[in-house]
Amino acid sequence: MSRRIEFSRAFLIAPMLAFAASALTNTPSQAQDETLRQSSLAPVPHFVEEAHAAGLDHKYEGPWEYFVGGGVAIFDCNGDRRPDLFVAGGQNEAALYRNDSSPGGALAFSKTATGISDQRLTKVLGAYPIDFDNDSIQDLVVLRLGENLLLKGKGACQFELANRSLAFEGGREWSTAFSAIWEQGATYPTLAFGNYVDRSAPGAPWGACHDNFVFRPDEGDALKYAQVLRLSPGYCTLSMLFTDWNRSGEPALRVSNDRHYYRGGEEQLWALSPGRPPRPYRRSDGWRHLKIWGMGIASIDLNVDGFPEYALTSMGDTKLQMLDDEADESVPVYRDIAFERGVTAHRPYTGEDLRPSTGWHSEFQDVNNDGLWDLYIAKGNVEAMPDFAAFDPDNLLIGQWDESFVETGDIAGIDLDRRGRGAGLADFNMDGLLDLVVINRSAPVSLFRNVGSGTADAPQPLGNWLGVEIRQPGVPNPFAVGAKVSVKIGNRTIVRDVQVGAGHASGQAGFLHFGLGVSERAQVRVRWPDGSWSHGYRVFANHHVIIDRGDEAAKLWFAN
Amino acid sequence: MARPFTLTVGSFLSALVLGSSAFAGGTGFNPWDERVIREGIDYDALANDPEFSLEALRDKGKELFEGRFIKDEGAGRPNATQAIVPTKRRRPAGHMFLRLSGLDANSCQSCHAMPVSGGAGDFTANVFVSEGFESADFDTTDPQFSNERGTNHLMGAGLIELLAREMTADLRAQRSKAVVAARENGQAVTLQLETKGVSFGVLTAQPDGLVETSGLEGIDSDLTLRPFGQKGVFGSLRQFTVNALNQHSGMQPAERYGVAWTGTADFDGDGVDNEISIGQVSAMVAYQATLPAPGRKTPLPDIWVEAAKHGEHLFSEAGCASCHRPSLPLESLVFQDPNPFETAGTLRPSDVTTALKLDLGTLDWVKALPKDDQGRTLVPLFGDLKRHRIADAARDTLGNELLSQRFVARDVFLTAELWGVGNTAPYGHRGDLTTLHEVIDAHGGEATEARKAYTALPENDRQAILAFLKSLEIAE
Repeated sequence: MSRRIEFSRAFLIAPMLAFAASALTNTPSQAQDETLRQSSLAPVPHFVEEAHAAGLDHKYEGPWEYFVGGGVAIFDCNGDRRPDLFVAGGQNEAALYRNDSSPGGALAFSKTATGISDQRLTKVLGAYPIDFDNDSIQDLVVLRLGENLLLKGKGACQFELANRSLAFEGGREWSTAFSAIWEQGATYPTLAFGNYVDRSAPGAPWGACHDNFVFRPDEGDALKYAQVLRLSPGYCTLSMLFTDWNRSGEPALRVSNDRHYYRGGEEQLWALSPGRPPRPYRRSDGWRHLKIWGMGIASIDLNVDGFPEYALTSMGDTKLQMLDDEADESVPVYRDIAFERGVTAHRPYTGEDLRPSTGWHSEFQDVNNDGLWDLYIAKGNVEAMPDFAAFDPDNLLIGQWDESFVETGDIAGIDLDRRGRGAGLADFNMDGLLDLVVINRSAPVSLFRNVGSGTADAPQPLGNWLGVEIRQPGVPNPFAVGAKVSVKIGNRTIVRDVQVGAGHASGQAGFLHFGLGVSERAQVRVRWPDGSWSHGYRVFANHHVIIDRGDEAAKLWFAN
Repeated sequence: MARPFTLTVGSFLSALVLGSSAFAGGTGFNPWDERVIREGIDYDALANDPEFSLEALRDKGKELFEGRFIKDEGAGRPNATQAIVPTKRRRPAGHMFLRLSGLDANSCQSCHAMPVSGGAGDFTANVFVSEGFESADFDTTDPQFSNERGTNHLMGAGLIELLAREMTADLRAQRSKAVVAARENGQAVTLQLETKGVSFGVLTAQPDGLVETSGLEGIDSDLTLRPFGQKGVFGSLRQFTVNALNQHSGMQPAERYGVAWTGTADFDGDGVDNEISIGQVSAMVAYQATLPAPGRKTPLPDIWVEAAKHGEHLFSEAGCASCHRPSLPLESLVFQDPNPFETAGTLRPSDVTTALKLDLGTLDWVKALPKDDQGRTLVPLFGDLKRHRIADAARDTLGNELLSQRFVARDVFLTAELWGVGNTAPYGHRGDLTTLHEVIDAHGGEATEARKAYTALPENDRQAILAFLKSLEIAE
């Protein structure tokens, strides 16, 4: 009898206690905070900073030229499919860190030699992975203050300088942005380099922006980049991205520029038709004048209409651009929806400093695996600009079901007092939760492990997820840059493009991450770079899948 | 504590409000109150209760399983479809109930009732299975919109799920071993997957961690054995319960349809928040997991005993037992709720601090089951928990669906477990075959040889097989 009474208490008393505890802990100050800031209804992941423990001791620093830059390339350099890191150092040497993390465990990296001379690895501002020679081994494009480098990957995290063999003139510019695309019918990629201030120009730095460059591969079987096309005028570019903004199948080059130094400049969009020189979209084409301190582009198709949206970081407001009703497939008119979606991120969300923020790298990812895109923005004062916030924590804007975003950087634990620059979200320990690496100016690199709803000692998953790698074996562009991957869960479709570029001096290659929410399965379709669609691949959640073009079924990949 | 879903407060508040009734006495409810949900069930308190009573939880689950949910407590889903992934309707439902796309029941027992609560359903209890995404509000029996299915019984379902869990764990361990071996040796490893004597085809692990799954048979590529539903597409009683509560009754469990995964506590827009808590789902799971397994009909006249004995022998001889395996061995009788292989949207072990453990070994009917020489409980399911192609051009009766379900082809079904087949007619996945002979004769595809062996038998031997099958009954 007493057993039965005790059991009844479990049904009736425990809820009562839970309710009482909830009422008691809801203090006035918390209630006040809640009125000031919206809470995320979507789950907020916890991030644990563990760079030092992970063996990632690295600093990006240097004089004025390194106020910008500070990028990281995230890619697999040794064929084990785990994302490794190539981190810019500014006046310090850039360094390559091999990922030794155990699946699901703490993060671990080992510094490893690259095979490139130390001297070449100084003055590095950023880097992007790309397999420019189609050998199915990721190569690196390294942005420098001075000669840019094309580093051919040889496997086992070894590289060789390929500038000379590829007839590539690395230049002497201050390069701060990069993007690449395989143009239709091309065997090798077209490379675009964004340059910042021309320090040798009269009156520099004010009004002295360098032209940007496009390298198209020479005709012929061997890869050569002997010819350079100038994108002139340049407006002190800090981010660029080849993007199929109008579903034409012909990516254009979006360029984000820093108004701090240009005069009469603006954000730019260049058309690149195969075999023809680049042509800027102008007012007569519908392109609207926009001046921002453009630092980093992030692109995703939020409403899955085939026309990507673009987040543009700046000083003060972040922009979020969506094609306007006035636009059509030849008229790129954008409107800013940042305010209505809650992503302006214009000033620090925590602390006492109410001066405007300074945004750098930005990236759409799904950090809680709920199937909604989230937006990460690296933040940090340029150096000591008095009109801008000194304490300027990074943003983690969690996507909500009402299409808005809610700031959660402090709740997630990424609100460090560091000046963020380049960054990247990737699943370093292959547990299905995206981790975060942030390159900070004159401060250690931050490395956050995403422990989901748990703790460092006991990580807990959030929603279901899928890692997708697509390949085109035996043909040019083996990693299918320019492809679109479409994941269908129920009535919803989530799409993302395989791209090289964007962000702030930081790029990545490897598994494309999708949050699946409560779906335990999904259908994946791929629009290959030549425009043809695959059939639907039926896959189950919480796996890494590999889709080789032409395969009937996806393969699975296991980290252990 | 249960991490993201501490959702007992709403129910508790309801209880407080009702407590003001002049007639309610100490219960908070009038004796004639039509509500099914009369109290919160706190999962954490249960999981941490040193004097936890399986019987008491089962009784609570029985009330929920058999109760007729009403609108005031959340029955109905005016703005949500039947889909297992929360999906909004394009327009509000015009009807509270609609026999085809739902609601088609306001109680689990309204279908699972034959011959006892938790049992099977007659043709009148057929369900029209649709993914619930496109054309979710279909109002026709046209098979291009839904698959019509009979209601399976749930007797012994706890043991079925435990078998599936052990088989999943075993198959995944084999896969891991192959991946490690391929990596270590630098050579591909091709593996014949087999667990509890049931083969599931082959997989090949490459040295770089890639696994090719195109050689798998009868199981999904993630090697999760899903033993529920006619197609074998649901992995656990809990997952099925969450699905079914929404589909059939419009009662939306918070663990999938709540704020965390939909942004609202009232996804179906019926004005009731968090309609079913994790504790309440656990109670329903406990009820279903403890339903006694079917047994053998007793007493039987000698002539039937003799015929059944002969028929059981012939059943095996004819090859029927190669899929309808008389028993599968079960190592552990502890039913952990939630299932260790659950994914987001159904409560997972990672969502709770302490998992509820139901020791089915304490139940008398489980104690009575035979054990093998390794001490394993022999679960007499007459099945293999594997999917097979059961129809072909020559025998297409069981391939009469147009829609594949959750990646499973239209003519592939889970081997029907035959325990209880004696008193759960009609037969076939549509419940449209009136006799055991008819359903045996409908077997095609992989069962062709066994069916031919049966039909080639003399009439007396066929009768003996039927005598055996008719003896496999759910006790009343």
